[in-house]
Amino acid sequence: MDSDNDNDFCDNVDSGNVSSGDDGDDDFGMEVDLPSSAERQLDADDYQYKVLTTDEIVQHQREIIDDVNLVLKLPTPIMRILLNQFKWDREKLLEKYFDGNIEEFFKDAHVINPFNKAPEAIRQKTTRSQCEECEICFSLLPPDSMTGLECAHRFCLSCWREYLTTKIVAEGLGQTISCAAHGCDILVDDVTVTKLVQDARVRVKYQQLITNSFVECNQLLRWCPSVDCTYAVKVPYAESRRVLCKCGHVFCFACGENWHDPVRCRWLKKWIKKCDDDSETSNWIAANTKECPKCSVTIEKDGGCNHMVCKNQNCKYEFCWVCLSTWEPHGSSWYNCNRYDEDEAKSARDAQEKLRSSLARYLHYYNRYMNHMQSMKFENKLYASVKQKMEEMQQHNMSWIEVQFLKKAVDILCRCRQTLMYTYVFAYYLKKNNQSMIFEDNQKDLESATETLSEYLERDITSENLADIKQKVQDKYRYCEKRCSVLLKHVHEGYDTDWWDYTE
Amino acid sequence: MANMAVSRIKREFKEVMRSEEIVQCSIKIELVNDSWTELRGEIAGPPDTPYEGGKFVLEIKVPETYPFNPPKVRFITRIWHPNISSVTGAICLDILKDNWAAAMTLRTVLLSLQALLAAAEPDDPQDAVVAYQFKDKYDLFLQTAKHWTNAYAGGPHTFPDCDSKIQRLKDMGIDEHDARAVLSKENWNLEKATECLFS
Repeated sequence: MDSDNDNDFCDNVDSGNVSSGDDGDDDFGMEVDLPSSAERQLDADDYQYKVLTTDEIVQHQREIIDDVNLVLKLPTPIMRILLNQFKWDREKLLEKYFDGNIEEFFKDAHVINPFNKAPEAIRQKTTRSQCEECEICFSLLPPDSMTGLECAHRFCLSCWREYLTTKIVAEGLGQTISCAAHGCDILVDDVTVTKLVQDARVRVKYQQLITNSFVECNQLLRWCPSVDCTYAVKVPYAESRRVLCKCGHVFCFACGENWHDPVRCRWLKKWIKKCDDDSETSNWIAANTKECPKCSVTIEKDGGCNHMVCKNQNCKYEFCWVCLSTWEPHGSSWYNCNRYDEDEAKSARDAQEKLRSSLARYLHYYNRYMNHMQSMKFENKLYASVKQKMEEMQQHNMSWIEVQFLKKAVDILCRCRQTLMYTYVFAYYLKKNNQSMIFEDNQKDLESATETLSEYLERDITSENLADIKQKVQDKYRYCEKRCSVLLKHVHEGYDTDWWDYTE
Repeated sequence: MANMAVSRIKREFKEVMRSEEIVQCSIKIELVNDSWTELRGEIAGPPDTPYEGGKFVLEIKVPETYPFNPPKVRFITRIWHPNISSVTGAICLDILKDNWAAAMTLRTVLLSLQALLAAAEPDDPQDAVVAYQFKDKYDLFLQTAKHWTNAYAGGPHTFPDCDSKIQRLKDMGIDEHDARAVLSKENWNLEKATECLFS
């Protein structure tokens, strides 16, 4: 029940302008003493973002249209097409509109200039006296079962319906469906689509498609990347920021990955790609195997003897594993390997050495990164055991408010783990200099403190002396929190003052 | 749905039959089965091209969703052309893919294909080998295309040199079509073709 209350509280905070997830669960004044943390808080308060439901997104679209139409006064469907062409950037649209050739402007947007519309309509009326033939189904039909866009290409209602349905359902087109006539690029507006398509499922799909394209092309909006989440986040300006969705998922607005401070989106992207693709497999092969100097088949040494005989039946070359040159001159006195300093073999060995050390370096960071990720998953299990412990404590004369420190401790533990995890990605691309050494010290400090906190929560929590545990845990998580913000502040200062050199 | 496809095809069939191209014998169309879903088209090689004098047969499959999706067309007659696969007869033409419009008909498709024969687009190839030859050794491309037109589509130009090289490979037990394809690919270099076949 307790945690439910807490969630309710969080939800209330979320429904307005959300600042940052940090402020929902604060119940002690410690943070005021930490300038860095307070500063971050302030920083986050500046960044007023909103979590929108699908309906709110549709509403938001209308607001933008109405807003621009205060100036331009064009029909709403046309305005929607125009805005979509300009990726919903009103300034750019207005600039283009007042800047250049109006004819060109509408042509580029694949819309018939609405100011030339009147003569067109008259022309249509005069030719609409008797039956027309639909060019798609070739049936002769009375004018009222024929329709078309401003481009005057007319087809029968049922052909239009089929055409639009195919485009929407099979091809997944939304705002970019053009007229059915060959070579005509005039776009079909949303009002026409909804008028012509009666099938509710197709209409829903169409609405989804245009909403989706609205969010995807709008730089100030991003879908929450969490599975099955239908919310989108709207920000005042696009930047790499921590945002919290109503579903509870925390992510980076700029790249959509989990919030990854201190590493930047660019490096994280590189890192994820590196971890996903097979480049490291080939590095392993390069570092742990050698190629036969004659036939280039890949060989892994599985015994101690350095006298290698290539297993390739067409080759059977005999060579020395150490210097990679032919075995013959080695004879019985292998340890005096006289070819040892030969340039060619040396460069081969150097290249191999380099690959090996780069693999070792990658694995160093990768293992630590993965380790924290793994631990973070286990930490999520901790919430359950901590909840149980909290209930237990309340039966031992502690009040609800007094046991909240445990949940807070797990929150901080998870946040520290996540930060630590991404510090290894940051460090992997970092070149060594004085500042990077300070960073590593910070990292080391935070890491050891985090491990201790984790240990307290996992093991010592079972001890009987509750007051003692509370003191220990609180001290430790405050320390962790402080170290975490010091580390982040240092990295950000480095970004601002260009301390960091990168390896790639 | 299928109903619309069938009624459209029936109408288009009549349209082709009435068209002046039929009178000039430059395009032709016939039914393969009673269901109107599969047709056989034929186009004449356009004048002043290496395909002149040839008759090219096409397989036309009409999808359920016709005319909102394009018909599936491929060459049955083998042809040497950068935008048509020399192996499968698959065609690379925008109107048969993204640029299809519901108001297009079988007649416009056949005429577009005829236009494609007259104006190849080697920069957007279906068959990279042919496209390379087209761009790099145009004379050889012309000769090969004419030879293929003669061999498969009844074109007038014969090349005894080509025929004798094919015969040489046939004597080695190679299938005639394979021999022609390999020789065409290797720019009629008999030695390279042999190497390619036997390595």
